[in-house]
Amino acid sequence: MQNLMAGLLLIAIAAVAGAQGSSLSVGTLRHIGPGMIPLTLAAILGFIGVLLMLMWWRGDRGDSGRWPLRGPIFILGAAVVFGLTVRPLGLTVAGPLLVVVAAFASHETRWKEIIIFATGMTIFCVALFRYALTLPIPVAPWLIGY
Amino acid sequence: MDGLIDNLAHGFSIAVSLNNLGLCFIGVVVGTLVGILPGVGPIATIAMLLPLTFNFDPTGALIMLAGIYYGAQYGGSTTAILINIPGEATSVVTVLDGHQMARQGRAGVALGTAALVSFFAGTVSTIVVAALGVPLTKLALLFGPAEYFALMVLGLSFAVVLAQGSLLKAAAMIFLGILLASIGTDLETGEERLTFGFSELADGIDFVVLAMGMFGFAEILRNLENPESRDLVSAKIGRLLPNREDVKASIMPMIRGTGLGAILGILPGNGAVLGPFASYATEKKLAKDPSRFGKGAIEGVAGPEAANNAGAQTAFIPLLTLGIPPNAVMALMVGAMTIHGIIPGPQVMTKSPDLFWGMVASMWIGNAFLLIINLPLIGIWVKLLNVPYRLMFSAILLFCSIGIYSINNDASDVLLTALFGLAGYVFIKFGFEPAPLLLGFVLGRLMEEKLRQALIISRGDFMTFVNNPVSAVLLVISVGIIILAVLPSIRAKKAIALAGTDP
Repeated sequence: MQNLMAGLLLIAIAAVAGAQGSSLSVGTLRHIGPGMIPLTLAAILGFIGVLLMLMWWRGDRGDSGRWPLRGPIFILGAAVVFGLTVRPLGLTVAGPLLVVVAAFASHETRWKEIIIFATGMTIFCVALFRYALTLPIPVAPWLIGY
Repeated sequence: MDGLIDNLAHGFSIAVSLNNLGLCFIGVVVGTLVGILPGVGPIATIAMLLPLTFNFDPTGALIMLAGIYYGAQYGGSTTAILINIPGEATSVVTVLDGHQMARQGRAGVALGTAALVSFFAGTVSTIVVAALGVPLTKLALLFGPAEYFALMVLGLSFAVVLAQGSLLKAAAMIFLGILLASIGTDLETGEERLTFGFSELADGIDFVVLAMGMFGFAEILRNLENPESRDLVSAKIGRLLPNREDVKASIMPMIRGTGLGAILGILPGNGAVLGPFASYATEKKLAKDPSRFGKGAIEGVAGPEAANNAGAQTAFIPLLTLGIPPNAVMALMVGAMTIHGIIPGPQVMTKSPDLFWGMVASMWIGNAFLLIINLPLIGIWVKLLNVPYRLMFSAILLFCSIGIYSINNDASDVLLTALFGLAGYVFIKFGFEPAPLLLGFVLGRLMEEKLRQALIISRGDFMTFVNNPVSAVLLVISVGIIILAVLPSIRAKKAIALAGTDP
C-alpha cells in the first residue's frame, strides 16, 4: 500500500502545482520564464509518482504502517489552539491550553501532574520570553492590557 | 601560514569577549541537554531557539547556534553509551562498543575516552576549517553560475545517495523541496508563482516554519508512536580517565578517526554521517583480534567518536566558504544567518571577517567547555536521562509554538507550521524522509537563479555545463555516485552500513 499511496500523493502534488503554474510563462532556454522551473519540477514529481505506482503494481508494496490518529489530532490541534488564542487571550491562557490539549495525545498522561506542569511551564515561559528576552508576545491582554 | 595564525588570533580576540564566551557556553550546555534528552533533535532546538537570538549580534547568535549543534554530538554519545540509544544519527556506531563497556562497569572510561578524543578531533578540525577557509573562499570567488549550479547538483546528489531508505523517494523529496522554494514572487519578473492567491505566500514559505513543522512537530508525532525502550545502565559510572593501556589502544584510532571524519565532513550532502561508520570499519579491519569489536573494545569508541566530532565541525566548511549547507542543521544555520542579514557564501569571510573567524575560534573554545561540562558533571546529565517523555513533548511543543509566533509576531505562522507538521507526518508514513526536502528547499532559490544566469550567459545552450571543465567534472561525479548507488551490490552494502546497529 505504501508505494501506491506515495505515488498517488506525488501525482496529486504535481497536478496541483501544474494547475497553479499553468498560467505562468515558460519562456525559452535563452531566457527562462517564471513558469519553467516549477512546471518542470511538477512533471518530474509526477513521473516519480508513476514509477512508485509501477513498483507497487510489480509487487514492491513497501511497508504498510499503522495510522494512529490520536497523536496527530491532539498535537497539531494543540498548536492550532495556541495559534488561535495567543493573540486575543495571551500566553497565560494559550500556554496551559496547549499543554492540556497536547496531553490527550499520550496515554501515559497523569492529570494532576499535567495541571502542575502547565502552570509551571506558563510562568517560566512568561518570565523568559516576555520579561527576560523582551519579545512582544501578549501575556494577558484581558487582565493587564498586554 | 602566517595569515592562518593572524586570522585565528583575530578570531580568538572576538570569541573571548565576555558576551561571546557566555553565548558559546549557553550553546554547548543547551546542545548537551538536547543530545541527552529524549526526542529533541538539534534541528528542532535550533529552530526553537532562533527567536531567542534576535536581540543578539549575528556573531554571538551564530556562535551559540553552532555550540548547540556540536554540543548535541557530545550529548548523543552519552545516551549511546549509557542507555543504548544513539542520541544523534552520528553516534549510532558508538552504541555498539560503548554500551558494552558500560555493561562491563567501564561506563566512566567510555565516557571519558569519548570526551577526550572528541576534544582532540575538535582541535584538529578547527585548524582544518581555518586552514581551508581562505583557499576555498578564493576558489569559490572564481566560480561562475555554471560551476555553482553544478556544485549544488553534486551536493543534492550526495544527499540522495546518503539518505535512508529508497533513493527514488529521497530524490522526490529533493525535487519537492526545490518546488516549495519556487513558491512566491519570481526573482526576475516579479510575477507571483504558486501562491494559490494568498498574499501571505508572496514572500515565499518561511524556512523556519517549514523546518519546525517537518522536523519539530513531526518528530514529536513519530516519538509518541514509537516509545523508546531504554536500557539504562544503573551500575556506577566508575573511573572516568582511561588508564595507560586504554590510552595506548585509543591513540591511533583517534588520529585515524579524526582524519576520516574531517575529510568526509567536507563533502557536500551530509558526508559527516559516514565518518563514524568508516572509522569503525577501519579499526575493525586493522585490529589484531576483530572479534573483540561489539564486546566493549575501546577502539570502537575512540575512532568513531573522533570521526563524529571532526565531521560535525568540518561540515561548516561548505557552508562558510561556498554558502552551500551540507545537511539539514546547516540549512537552518543559513536561515539563522539570513535572519541576521548575512548571506552565506564566499563573501562572508571578506565582508564579515569578525563573524567568520570568531565562529571558527569559538568552535575550539566550545570544545574545551564541553570537556569541562561533560567530564566532572556527568552525574547531573545522567539524572536528566530519567525525564519522562510524557512531559517533554508538551514542553517542546510549547517552546516551538512560542518560537514560531515570535519570528514575525504572526499567529498564522503557527497554524501553517501545524499544516507542515501534518504533511511531514504523512510523508514519513509513506516512507519519505523529510531531511532531503529541507536541503532542496534551502538550495532551491539559489539553484534556479544560477541556472537562469548560466543559460543567459550561454544564450540558452545547455552545453555550457559540459564545456566548462569544473562544472563538467562536478556533474560527472554527481552522475557517477548516483549510478553507483543504484547498482544492487553497493545498495546492499549501504543498507548494512547505515543500519549497522544490529549486533
